Amino acid sequence: MMIRLFTGFYSILKGFKVTFKNMLKKPVTLNYPIVKKPMTDRFRGMVDLVPEKCVICYQCIKICPTAALELEHKVLEDNKTKTITKFVFNGELCCFCGFCGEICPTDAIFLNKMYEVSYFAHKDLLTIDLMRKDKYKHVDGGESS
Amino acid sequence: MGELLTVNMGPQHPSTHGVLYLELKMDGEIVVDCKPHLGYLHRSIEKIAENRTYTQFIPFTDRLDYLASMNNNLGYCLAVEKLLNIAVPDRAQYLRVIIAELNRAVSHLVAIGTFAQDLGAYATPLFYAFRDREKIVDLFDSICGGRLTYNYMRIGGVSADIPARTEQIIKDFIAYERKQLIEYNELLTYNVIFLARSKNIGILSKEVARSYSVTGPMLRASGIKWDIRKEEPYSMYDKFDFDVPVGANGDSWDRFKVRLDEISQSLRIVEQAIGGIPEGNPVSKVNRVFRGTGEAYVRTENPRGELGFYLVAEGGFNPTRCKIRSPSFSNLGALSELVKGLNISDAVCVLGSMDIVMGEIDR
Amino acid sequence: MSVIFLKGLAVLGFIAVSAMFSIWLERKISAWIQNRMGPMMTGFHGTLQPVADTIKLLLKEDIVPKGVDFLSWWLAPFFVTVPVVMAFLVIPFSSKWIALDLNVGVLYVCSVTSICVLGIFMAGWGSNNKYSLLGGMRSAAQIISYEVPLLLSVLLVVMQSGTMSMQGIVAAQEHGWFILKPHLTLAFLIYFISATAEVNRVPFDIPEAESELVAGYHTEYSGMKFAMFFVAEYTNMFIISAIATTLFLGGWQGPFLPGLVWFLLKSYGLVAFLMWMRWTLPRVRMDQMMSFAWKVLTPMALLNLLISGWFMVK
Repeated sequence: MMIRLFTGFYSILKGFKVTFKNMLKKPVTLNYPIVKKPMTDRFRGMVDLVPEKCVICYQCIKICPTAALELEHKVLEDNKTKTITKFVFNGELCCFCGFCGEICPTDAIFLNKMYEVSYFAHKDLLTIDLMRKDKYKHVDGGESS
Repeated sequence: MGELLTVNMGPQHPSTHGVLYLELKMDGEIVVDCKPHLGYLHRSIEKIAENRTYTQFIPFTDRLDYLASMNNNLGYCLAVEKLLNIAVPDRAQYLRVIIAELNRAVSHLVAIGTFAQDLGAYATPLFYAFRDREKIVDLFDSICGGRLTYNYMRIGGVSADIPARTEQIIKDFIAYERKQLIEYNELLTYNVIFLARSKNIGILSKEVARSYSVTGPMLRASGIKWDIRKEEPYSMYDKFDFDVPVGANGDSWDRFKVRLDEISQSLRIVEQAIGGIPEGNPVSKVNRVFRGTGEAYVRTENPRGELGFYLVAEGGFNPTRCKIRSPSFSNLGALSELVKGLNISDAVCVLGSMDIVMGEIDR
Repeated sequence: MSVIFLKGLAVLGFIAVSAMFSIWLERKISAWIQNRMGPMMTGFHGTLQPVADTIKLLLKEDIVPKGVDFLSWWLAPFFVTVPVVMAFLVIPFSSKWIALDLNVGVLYVCSVTSICVLGIFMAGWGSNNKYSLLGGMRSAAQIISYEVPLLLSVLLVVMQSGTMSMQGIVAAQEHGWFILKPHLTLAFLIYFISATAEVNRVPFDIPEAESELVAGYHTEYSGMKFAMFFVAEYTNMFIISAIATTLFLGGWQGPFLPGLVWFLLKSYGLVAFLMWMRWTLPRVRMDQMMSFAWKVLTPMALLNLLISGWFMVK
């Protein structure tokens, strides 16, 4: 009985030792809004587009598992060049799988490094116009190219 | 016996691991009857599989057991490869094993942390576990770009080769984690309060475990040495040397200890695999088109037990039927058997030691 | 009359500041233990965080849940907070800084602080919530059973010093703290463990066991009523540390520094230890805790009392 009491007490002291040792270690977290962690090269953030590179092959639309992308185009008068009339990204449906970026033959569509993806209004998230230059400017840290 | 008290534990409760709803009938503080209610996280993933191509379904497997996405990816990809007879390069096989074992280790870390949290060790073990997990999550982030839903495996390979320095990071992690495991032992495993709380609580006998088709660490804690990696080696597991830790009593403490031991076994596998990665191109492009006929069932050893994918194809671009056998679902079945006659604190302890993930139970 | 009034105001002010400091300290210690940073944004290293929290709690809506037993539900926070304030009456901060040096100081503190259980039980019963009820029931059983070893160990100090006045006990430790005497070391350990249980701290926090009972007896409270429970909890922690300091650690006595500083240093040292304990240990179970009180602590305290009492008489 006494032995059990003492071994129990000792095991508790060991726990105290562990927490004390960790108390002296440096914190592993960042002071978040002030210090931000850089994203890795392959990080999959929001879907982004370079409209000039797009060849309107519709591969991204076909591969998207959640149908988050919507693309429409029209053929110009000379019956050769196509032009995008609508390229809308639904941020709510997107599952950030990165298939669209992987399949794109010209790297026009890609996933950028933006990870703070909150919006002020729900409908803004549903219809992100990928053709606009300033599509991700409203959020701090959002970058668009 | 006095009047029974019905306590609705969940779906919003700090210790039901998501949206599990337990209907507890209690006599004072003693649980007389326990009925788990499911379905709060149902997304009909099996039906989704029937309407997606084989490749398109991979991101959805991430969302089954969200703590072990890589293992789910692996299970599904193996099933499709078996169905359609697709060869996988050796390098991809090795990478898959390394990644899956690392994911198993960090998934067990979360299990340990949340179990300690359920026993009332406020947040500290959980934070230590997450601190260690963070290293692997960062590594996975640099490999595949995701931090929770990795979507790394592809049918017939992986999405990208590992970047330079990955091997060094993994070696560093193995050395670091071995030191941390000693710390976990000191902080939790042999702590007298921890032992008093989890020893001989919720004993799952071999017979009951078998009859509920419990798998994974829960089954091994009951003393049955059953590990798909040993019994039915898939991928490259027959090339590596590792032990299957087994528990003695099948109580909550054994389940905890088996997980802790499995972490070091996983690290052993990774250590062996990292030395022998062959050269080659493991990448399988996402724009490959698959179609075929037949049916295939592949079971893999997930951190929580036996994950099975049963696929039926009738020649289309997508499977006609996809049945997922999720380990947590079967394991949860044994809960009401285990908690009968226990204190409410012990009921929480048993539930924590089962380490369920609701994403996989409700699918 | 006006002097007592001023002293009362000073005590209230001290309670507010002390509770805020304790909350900040708790958050920082937990953060350091867990390799985090803790509050950093408000003020220097988050020093103003408790102020921000208080403002938030003050501005919150005071929700009265449907079906509460209104009188007991409404009165409970006061029953928890008022005894805590009353206990400050006899705590000697330094040789002069004591509101009232009662000649039954120890008895007074012990009796006043045990009123808290009534408030907790009222909160648990009045909330009309099963989790709260279980928490209140647990709390009543726990606090009443731990009162016994606590009083038995305090009794030893009274026997040693021959007085019940707090200043008298401090004066008796002029030539060596009581904790240095072997039988009183044991008494200190018993006191500290029982006092931890008395204020529902980990590892004895079962009345508010988060993973089982959501928040125990204060599940249904919001806004300022919740804040009162919160303040009472942290002030209680300070009180048991202050009493331990007075009874075992020589009170305000110490070289070089003024008495007040020594007293606060020792007390907050113990408070910090309590916090360290909270972030290290798991929680015990209800029946284990009860059997620990009745089968280990109480016999040990009795035996200690008997043996050292025999030596004192001889």
